[in-house]
Amino acid sequence: MEIELNTIIDGVQDKMPHLSTRAELEAYKATILGPNGAMTAVMKSMGQVPKDEKPAAGKLINKAKSSVVTAFNEVMQRIEAGEMATRLGPSIDPSLPSPDLDRGTLHPISQVREEMVQLFSKIGFSVAEATEIETEHYCFDALNIPADHPARDMQDSYYLPDQLTVANVEKHADEKYLLRTHTSTVQIRTMLESKPPIRIIAPGRCFRRDTPDATHSANFHQIEGLYVDEHVSLLDLKATLDYFVKTIFGPKAKTRLRPSFFPFTEPSFEMDFYSPDLGKLSNKWLEIMGCGMVDPEVFKSVDIDPDRFTGYAFGMGVERIAMILQGVDDIRYYYQNDVRFLEQFA
Amino acid sequence: MKISYNWLKNYIDLDPIDHSPDVLVDTLPLLGFDIETYEKLGPPNMPNVVVGQVTSYQAHPDADRLRCCEVSTGEESALRQIVCGAKNFNSGDKVMVALPGAVLPGDFKIKKSKLRGQPSEGMLCSAKELHLGQDHDGIMIVDKNAPLGTSINALFTQGDTVFDLEITPNRVDVLSHIGVARELSARFGLPVKYPKLSAGKENEGKSLLADVQVLADDLCPHYTALSIQGVKVGPSPAWLKDAIEATGQRSINNVVDVTNYVLHETGQPLHAFDAAKIKGGKLVVRTAHAGESITTLDNLERELSTSNLVIADCERALVVAGLMGSVDAEVDEKTTDVVLESAYFTPKSIRATSRSLHLSTDSSYRFERGADPKGITYASLRAADLILDVAGGSIVGNRLEVGSEPSTLTVITLYPKQVRDFIGFEVSDAVIQSVLESLNLQVAQYADAENCPRWEVSIPSYRADLLRPVDLIEEFIRMYGTGKIPDSEVVARGIERTDDRLYSVNVSVADYLTGQNFNEAFLYSLRDPEEVRYFFGDSSHACLALDNPLQSDQSHLRPSLIPGLIDVLQLNAARGTTGTRFFERGHVYREVQGQLVELVSVGFVMAQESRQREWLTRESEDFYTSRTICENILEIAGQSAKKISFHPINSCDLWQGGHAAYAGDFGRMGYEITCGMINATTLKKRWDLTAPVLAGSILMTPQFFKRTTKRNRHKAISNQPASSKDLSLIVDTSTLAQQVHGDVSKFAQKSSQGFDCESVRIFDLYQAEGLPEGKKSLAFNLSFRAPDRTLKDKEVNAAFDSIQQLICEKTNYTIRK
Repeated sequence: MEIELNTIIDGVQDKMPHLSTRAELEAYKATILGPNGAMTAVMKSMGQVPKDEKPAAGKLINKAKSSVVTAFNEVMQRIEAGEMATRLGPSIDPSLPSPDLDRGTLHPISQVREEMVQLFSKIGFSVAEATEIETEHYCFDALNIPADHPARDMQDSYYLPDQLTVANVEKHADEKYLLRTHTSTVQIRTMLESKPPIRIIAPGRCFRRDTPDATHSANFHQIEGLYVDEHVSLLDLKATLDYFVKTIFGPKAKTRLRPSFFPFTEPSFEMDFYSPDLGKLSNKWLEIMGCGMVDPEVFKSVDIDPDRFTGYAFGMGVERIAMILQGVDDIRYYYQNDVRFLEQFA
Repeated sequence: MKISYNWLKNYIDLDPIDHSPDVLVDTLPLLGFDIETYEKLGPPNMPNVVVGQVTSYQAHPDADRLRCCEVSTGEESALRQIVCGAKNFNSGDKVMVALPGAVLPGDFKIKKSKLRGQPSEGMLCSAKELHLGQDHDGIMIVDKNAPLGTSINALFTQGDTVFDLEITPNRVDVLSHIGVARELSARFGLPVKYPKLSAGKENEGKSLLADVQVLADDLCPHYTALSIQGVKVGPSPAWLKDAIEATGQRSINNVVDVTNYVLHETGQPLHAFDAAKIKGGKLVVRTAHAGESITTLDNLERELSTSNLVIADCERALVVAGLMGSVDAEVDEKTTDVVLESAYFTPKSIRATSRSLHLSTDSSYRFERGADPKGITYASLRAADLILDVAGGSIVGNRLEVGSEPSTLTVITLYPKQVRDFIGFEVSDAVIQSVLESLNLQVAQYADAENCPRWEVSIPSYRADLLRPVDLIEEFIRMYGTGKIPDSEVVARGIERTDDRLYSVNVSVADYLTGQNFNEAFLYSLRDPEEVRYFFGDSSHACLALDNPLQSDQSHLRPSLIPGLIDVLQLNAARGTTGTRFFERGHVYREVQGQLVELVSVGFVMAQESRQREWLTRESEDFYTSRTICENILEIAGQSAKKISFHPINSCDLWQGGHAAYAGDFGRMGYEITCGMINATTLKKRWDLTAPVLAGSILMTPQFFKRTTKRNRHKAISNQPASSKDLSLIVDTSTLAQQVHGDVSKFAQKSSQGFDCESVRIFDLYQAEGLPEGKKSLAFNLSFRAPDRTLKDKEVNAAFDSIQQLICEKTNYTIRK
């Protein structure tokens, strides 16, 4: 019996390397362990073994069987590994270019706008939105710019026809509609909707009737800030704007407030900044925004008590800041949307 | 406004070092007077440009137009030859010589050279080349007594600096040299030296006018006329000519120049009439007659309206009041007698006339901002002094005067504590007071009931812009210096308000779309009218038009982001870039029943097949890609996409019929989606693009973002196994899958008693042979699950039978066996 078993085991060992598919394995397995298999035949012969030899013979058979099963399992593993390799295909070349598109890019103006909004968010400003169509009242009169004031000459605006109605832009009286010339309109809309304390930042698109050139575009974007509360002072305005400039342009940036005039703030300033790290624009004063303390007349137009509340407001052009930060010298590049331009800021 | 440094020095003792032009360049902007440009007249520092003498010259042997000059510059080595093209000099003339090594303005380097074969060691210069004037007709001849070899900078030391200041509209008082001097006086602590007057209002003799009559005293509350007899009109003396030219004007004659000089000196516009041309010996200040016209000095005949104020004689209008005189009454070489007008015209009237005549002058610019009511007399007497000085003559008779100075606010109450509260930092009363007083704002101190200091601040007549305490605080901080505001930390108390949802949604949408490989584009909101009409029809075209467009191709508000985005695809395709996917977030405008509505929009486009060849090809996008993106955007905006029903678009100029769909209705639901393929014919015709373009456009009303959304609550999920069944239905090709799906779901819910039909999913669409004409087959997978137990086959089969029975009874769908 031992000889027979060894012959079977040797046979299996010889056959193993030649088995390459599941079917071959199963077919061969049947010739050994199947009902008519060689091993089965040896096991069946156990009945003829004398009683006292049975334990030894049993051990022999079990040992032989387990070595055959182990051999078959090895073959099975090898076949499975082969099948897996076939399924997976050849190994990849990790250096081939991706056939997928690149991640898209946020427009450079959006990037700067969002950076600015986040900066102001950190010091408690929340975003306010409003429509681009406005009326003369909200764009001018409520901001203390009366109809015949020379300051109105400073803004050449796009108007909508008199007979038109804009269903979702509310008029104050019978004034004309226009495309907002500044985001300061959001100040008025916000102060009419809610009462102090108010601290908002309003990014948005504005329109001026300018002939397009390297620094003027038919539409452009502004960010307006407004803070109204009791005891808001000029010191607060300076602290806020210094924080903004130093965060966005780096700690080496210096600021100055240059007195100016806007009908909706008193006092009014242009804020300039100066930085050693701006390439061609380094080390000169660059104007970046208008700001000031909210004029009491503006508070009166929105029913806020100017004796109790004070506030500051500021507004700046997003394109202007983006052009400085990104080294872009013609605003029109932003509106062409050539991907070779857009992807430079990714 | 142009301000000459040399002229300024007449009114304030500016120190050549402490208050040099360069110092003013830094000082003026910080006082609120921005410098647009400034120009240093006179030569810049130019070594090697010296006085030389042409000792002799002869014609160039090979060039008729050139002369070969022997020039001495006083050196030992004596004569050098210089070739020169000018002919305006003689032997012995002293000229300015640029020697080799000199650098003239404009970085023009002078070297030894040869001109047509003749050596030339330098250049003889014109005044313009040396920045000494505008003269470029010939070379500059200098004083015979100038020593040879004298450097140009030693000879011409008298350079002026002219600042072009941008004066904000509230500061009419600074639109003059005295006005600027007052500001510098406050900043530097120097007194203002007002020119002393010799002339008086009352004089010997008889006025040249019989009368002045003001018929419109609401438009002209104060009018004065002074008579000067026996003037000799002629060219202005150099100082006057220089001053007039420094302000950018042309010198006319001595009398006219004086009136312009005084305007730029005091800010008060004046007018000089030739008395002989005033018919009837009388001036009348009145509004123009209907149909009246006047030929102004710019030689334009102007039709006047009855709201325009004029100064007339007995027959005709002579001056458009406050703007410009006519050719009929101007002072010229023959004039001997002059009537000098100094008046106050109301700003509104001048502004309206200036606008209606499209005419703006130095004079109207000041009147429309409000001249100093108390400056009228000073200016007229000052001009009289100067006329007598430069043109002779004498003042005759008493000055004629109608009306009186308009009154101005004189006192503002201010509390020094109020100043400190407003600026937010400590400054003593004394400092505030001294700063205000430097501006000639006199402080009278009082105390109110609680012994708190109260100031009554008196305002000079030229500061009509100061009306309220806050205006005085502004003046304080401006003169005190914004540089002295201390640095401090941002103090921000919490305020209960979050970002408007529109903004946060926009941020998330951009995150999503950039993650889907889209590049964000920024486009103009104004579009071409033909495009608007082509895609949106006549009523939109009419409704979206601007009243006053600037460019004819940007005259309409955009109703959609899509055409602009296709422009971007076109540009990138034309330039051969890799850009095939773009999106924009922006506002669009739609016409609804004749009214305009402003909407918020997100649009995207993807060009198919225009991608570069790749070593591995991906499946390309289709309608469902665009729909999924739209649905996801709407989900980001807070609207569940499950409830959206898409309807096919059959025919449209923008979208491809049969390959695009729409959902929603912004009027009723607050949102609207259109997505799918762009009309291929249109794409070819309008953009010359042949590759198919898929796009999506989402419109949302601003109100859509103001909805309050409910926070979702937890619902238990079952951990029992699910059972599933497949069902295949044959339906009409035109029946939308969503309809069939809805029916199956409804029946499945109804048939599942005691357990749930968790999902009904379409997993196959078959639409080919084997099916009757006009039919398609939809295969559904239904999944059932109970919350608390494993479902028995019997239960599921019963439910499935019931579903099939309901389909047979209630629909015309056929169950495919």
